[in-house]
Amino acid sequence: MNGNKSATVLETPPKRAKGSQGKGPSAAGAKGEKEKRSGADGFFTGLIDFFASLRLTVVCLFLGMILVFWGTLAQVDFGLFKAQNEFFRSFFIHWGPKGATWKMPIFPGGYLVGGLLLINLVTAHFTRFKWTRKKIGIWMVHVGVILLLVGQLLTDVLSRESHMWLSEGQAKNYSDSSSHDELALVDTSNPDYDEVVAFPDSLVTKKGELRNAKLPFTIRVKNYFANSEPQVRAPIADNSPPQATAGIGQRFTFLETAPTATMDSRNIPAAVVEILTDEGSIGTWVVSNWLVEEKLLQLVQTNFRNQLGESLAQQLCSRLLQPQEFTYRGHTYQLALRPERFYKPFNIQLLKFSHDIYRGTDIPKNFSSRIHLQRADTGEDREALIYMNNPLRYAGETYYQSGFDDVDPRVTILQVVHNPSWLTPYFSCILVAAGLLVQFLTHLFGFITKRKTT
Amino acid sequence: MPKPSDLMFITAQVKINALTCIVAGSLLSAFTGCGRDDVRTYRVPKETNSQLAAADLPTGHPDVSGAAALPATSANVPADWQEAPPGEMRVASFHVKGKDSKMADVSVIPLPGMAGRDIDNVNRWRGQVGLAPVSDAELAKITESVQVGGQDGKLYEMAGQNSDSGEKQRILAAIVRRPDAAWFFKMVGDDALVAEQKSAFVDYLKSFSFTGSGGGAAMQDAQLPPSHSPIGNILPAAAPSAPASSEGKPEWQVPPGWKEIDGGQFLVSKFIIISSDNLQAAVNVSMSAGDGGGVLGNVNRWRGQLGLSQQSQAEVDKLVQSIDIEGGKAILVDMSGTDMKSGAKTRLIGAIVPKGQQTWFYKLMGPAALIEQQKEAFTKFVQSVKYR
Repeated sequence: MNGNKSATVLETPPKRAKGSQGKGPSAAGAKGEKEKRSGADGFFTGLIDFFASLRLTVVCLFLGMILVFWGTLAQVDFGLFKAQNEFFRSFFIHWGPKGATWKMPIFPGGYLVGGLLLINLVTAHFTRFKWTRKKIGIWMVHVGVILLLVGQLLTDVLSRESHMWLSEGQAKNYSDSSSHDELALVDTSNPDYDEVVAFPDSLVTKKGELRNAKLPFTIRVKNYFANSEPQVRAPIADNSPPQATAGIGQRFTFLETAPTATMDSRNIPAAVVEILTDEGSIGTWVVSNWLVEEKLLQLVQTNFRNQLGESLAQQLCSRLLQPQEFTYRGHTYQLALRPERFYKPFNIQLLKFSHDIYRGTDIPKNFSSRIHLQRADTGEDREALIYMNNPLRYAGETYYQSGFDDVDPRVTILQVVHNPSWLTPYFSCILVAAGLLVQFLTHLFGFITKRKTT
Repeated sequence: MPKPSDLMFITAQVKINALTCIVAGSLLSAFTGCGRDDVRTYRVPKETNSQLAAADLPTGHPDVSGAAALPATSANVPADWQEAPPGEMRVASFHVKGKDSKMADVSVIPLPGMAGRDIDNVNRWRGQVGLAPVSDAELAKITESVQVGGQDGKLYEMAGQNSDSGEKQRILAAIVRRPDAAWFFKMVGDDALVAEQKSAFVDYLKSFSFTGSGGGAAMQDAQLPPSHSPIGNILPAAAPSAPASSEGKPEWQVPPGWKEIDGGQFLVSKFIIISSDNLQAAVNVSMSAGDGGGVLGNVNRWRGQLGLSQQSQAEVDKLVQSIDIEGGKAILVDMSGTDMKSGAKTRLIGAIVPKGQQTWFYKLMGPAALIEQQKEAFTKFVQSVKYR
């Protein structure tokens, strides 16, 4: 007889009065059943029962509703990207008092709720499902929903969005991240290729020193501004020393401005970096997205032109366009703070961008980009037309006609999406629809057959 | 045929395995996102001409193959001033030769946005000739008023020893603050020569014309990236657009003591107020099509000019008040802060008047004491406007 009181049973036996000796036949059977199970088996059974319970499903759905509502409201203050990370791409939502460095989990996040729902569905399916021909449809529906959940999780983890800004005639073999930046050190010494060492913004924002085996020096991030604004610096007026000892920082000052989180604004970072070698510091530079992104450069140029006239604007802007570089031990390195780049083994050149409007109105009719795709390793050389609802799918990525520049009509903006699990929603929908159809037809034929026999 | 007990064991085992795989798989999938701190190293081919061609000149840049003209300023240049290539940042540059090969250099430089406070610039120049810095009170004593192209400017003169060469040197510097840029006129060189040239320098300033210069135009509301917030010093938010032609100019009653001056290309009118104790304030009148950026955008723009933080719609609603004008209501806002250009304590009273498909903007800005004196006059001025 097993007197192990820690064994968990499927059904809790009714409470008996103390000292009661009387036990009915069912109670005696239940007790015997309970005594037969080992402690480990009982634990696992209890665990499975918990994960398979309908109660867990209801709780998860309820938590999911709160999460969606709360996350949507939080988007106003946090911005879309931060709200997504804090609420949905996390196991818990954390909170800490203002000014405190600590935070504690206060609510389950999207990964936890979604993960529990997935486990709940799978476990309930395996524990309660009885494989019969009549339940094939149910099986297909469940597999379809499981595939959808898993597919969305993989999309969230593995997918990557970036964009390509192209002017007519311009070709690029890379796209720029929409959400992350990098501090790039580019060794341009070799005549055939450039050697890039890219530090992600997550390291740059921490400031401190950055090292890599491919670089014979250390980069010290002296300052980092999440959002910045460039100003002309002229010796006649600026009393303070320049922000950097070399490069653009001698002529321009990048002021730190308050970060923004609203949907219609964007942070443009800047950083002051110092290059430290065995022989000491060789200088400081200011690096910023202002100096590399076409749209931002255009903006600065337009305003200088409006304010100072063409000549002065040219003088100032010609400096902005020059790459910032230094030479050390016979190698020339360029520095840039830029959107994270994703290089491709092919070039995409914009041949023609068309922005058609309905005649006599300003209503857009069509945007289309005729591109030339060239790939050296396969010899591929063809044109393609990308327009709304007609993306280009190539090399595991999808190129959508995303936007255009409101100043330069020759510019197109393509959204580049890399999503390995892009087919899972299609498969899951097909499976669910097919499963429902199969289940319906199974019941229908069964009903018809039954009627005939009676 | 397997025994029932075997089947039970297998079923339990399958259940446990399934559960383990699910949990492990989920955790693994979730943590695939780790690695964001990884440094990437890779090789890329050199950029080709087609990749660089459009990138060399940012898109939208006009054709610059022809020689671009300097900002169209003009002035009566003294006969003994030799014109020199403008050089960096300069719209005009001259060399002056005196006796015994003494030299002086004249430069004219407009600077957009924040160009430093007057006291900072003056102390910098004083440092160049070996003089000690001055305080705000002392600065007022050494400031001379000067007319530059019909606008009021400030002239500073300082003499000492060049901190590098040790030679006796004199600096004459005039500063004119226009709506969008601060203009610096500077003559520096041999002490005696510059002293001798002072009247010629002042005459040059009087004859100077900003007409047609890029620096004379108010900043246009250039296109921001669709998702970028307004940029204070380069792009004021919701800057008023070009004013209506003169035939649409309203009638108003100008208070006594207000002097109308050239407001430039993008103001309907501009008035200067100078008090008996030499405090100076300005009234800008402008107009925009539509709502001109709305109350929120313009109040926050003015707040930016005063170094104040941006406010939400709810906060701005509490800040503004409504006043009666002919045919409707106007929004009035009264704020104090620090002038981002001069660094002085400044008060700003702004009025926003929606008029059909236009919105009119009136801004009184200057030292707090003077603004307090002029507040009532300003309000009456706004209320006196008769729109056509």
